[in-house]
Amino acid sequence: MPRKLKITVDTNVCVGNATCEIFAANTFALNEDRQSMVVNPDGDPEEKVLEAAENCPVSAITVADAETGETLFP
Amino acid sequence: MVTAINDDLFSPAVVNDPYTYFSQLRDEDPVHWNEKYELWVVSRYADLVWVTRHPEFFSSEWWKKDPRGPYPEIDESDLGLYQYVREFFSDWFIQHDRPEHTEMRMVVHSYFNPKAMELWRPIVQKAVKSLLDEAEERGSMDAMKDFAIPLPLLVIAQMMGMPNQDRAFIRELAEKLLFLGRGELNRMQPLTDGIKGLLEYLSPIVAERVKNPGEDLLSVLAIGEKKGIYTRDEVLANAVLLLLAGHETTINLICNGTLALIQHPDQLASFREDPTGRTVRATEECLRYDAPVRSIQRIASEDVELGGKMVRKDERLRWFISSANRDPEVFPNPETFDIARYPNPHVAFGSGIHHCLGSTLARLEGQEALRLLVERFPRLNLEVPARDLSYQPSITFRSLKSLPVSWN
Ligand code: HEM
Ligand code: SF4
Repeated sequence: MPRKLKITVDTNVCVGNATCEIFAANTFALNEDRQSMVVNPDGDPEEKVLEAAENCPVSAITVADAETGETLFP
Repeated sequence: MVTAINDDLFSPAVVNDPYTYFSQLRDEDPVHWNEKYELWVVSRYADLVWVTRHPEFFSSEWWKKDPRGPYPEIDESDLGLYQYVREFFSDWFIQHDRPEHTEMRMVVHSYFNPKAMELWRPIVQKAVKSLLDEAEERGSMDAMKDFAIPLPLLVIAQMMGMPNQDRAFIRELAEKLLFLGRGELNRMQPLTDGIKGLLEYLSPIVAERVKNPGEDLLSVLAIGEKKGIYTRDEVLANAVLLLLAGHETTINLICNGTLALIQHPDQLASFREDPTGRTVRATEECLRYDAPVRSIQRIASEDVELGGKMVRKDERLRWFISSANRDPEVFPNPETFDIARYPNPHVAFGSGIHHCLGSTLARLEGQEALRLLVERFPRLNLEVPARDLSYQPSITFRSLKSLPVSWN
């Protein structure tokens, strides 16, 4: 079983660039205001989620291990 | 009473002081049909964000799709050149909509991610220090020519793996491309010359990188060709895009930021008290207060209502960053330069799917340039009266012609 992730998007920072949606399409989706939302934290493999977080141009995404709380990104 | 709105966006009054002009426009007619140039002018923050986040209504492909002629008008004998220029710019990925935009941007997107860019910080610091050393020896400098221009040019040329000695030549050609946002009747000639010169310069280098790709940014584009995403012409055009976007804009951040600090001695003093701790917010405030890019264009893909106006399919529209960044609906005391301002959701880098690819790099360069400048020269003065400063007559770039400063 892959570990559970706690993924957050800081909507004060998100500029609706949609990069996260491109890298991890089953995890992130842009809402009507074109702000990123986590629609399913188990939607994609962990590396995809981390890749999305790393490539967000404004570093709006944080990823942690849901059980231990350990920060995985940044 | 509603006063008449001056539609000449290239007039010295609007070019030199866009802020007074746009504060009137924001109040009186925030989505304004500019009769003179047949163009919607969008001045409020909320409308700017809405436009940029709805690329399905507002296409970026305006060079290709605009059924109207160029504005301001050009010399009739230059229509052939206009056609050439138009085809060239249409290959830029900034000029594409989805799905092609996504595919083209993704070729270079990760190269610019925040983690990768952080590795450039020591290189930027070293370059800033050596420019300041040279200036200190001379005793004064034109902050434009001697500081703001060389830094970003050096960085982007190094990223692209171009020889150092080619920089002056690259800059000379790139300057011709700045006629992009200007109004001169005969501007198609320098634009064409600039494009042709850069293509001639880049072609053999790109051919070599396609054969032998390295780690540099040109090679990243070249690999995009190997993957079938770019044609050779598109590789060349997008190399020019990255070269131009990669330095012209950051130049203005450094120069306009330096001027704002000099003109607000209390803010300069506060920055100097803790340069390391205050540099991030100070740089963001420079980006907001006197934004390097004034405005960006779109073209409507269908009839769409915006701010109570009906924008018709194929009508062009420009959103003004210089205006949105001073919108009192979003920024308390918007006319105040406050280096501690927070939050500061300025739109200097645009918003939505075309949000600036180089924003992390630009921020890094701006932070290091401003921080090290303030650390080096505790006193900074203008060498000419402020009223003698003037700006390039562009509606795209907020660019000073020169900025002579001293530190005695
Ligand atoms: C202070 C400096 C800068 C400012 C103010 C700035 C501003 C902008 C703005 C407003 C846009 C949005 C254009 C649109 O929506 O059509 C943009 C896009 C872009 N910028 Fe920057 N920029 C800066 C620095 C850079 C740097 C350093 C690079 C590259 C090394 C760069 C490369 C790009 C590219 C490639 C795009 C197109 C993105 C796309 O269409 O997806 N910019 N920039
Ligand atoms: S990549 Fe970042 S800025 Fe873009 S939509 Fe996702 S969270 Fe927002």
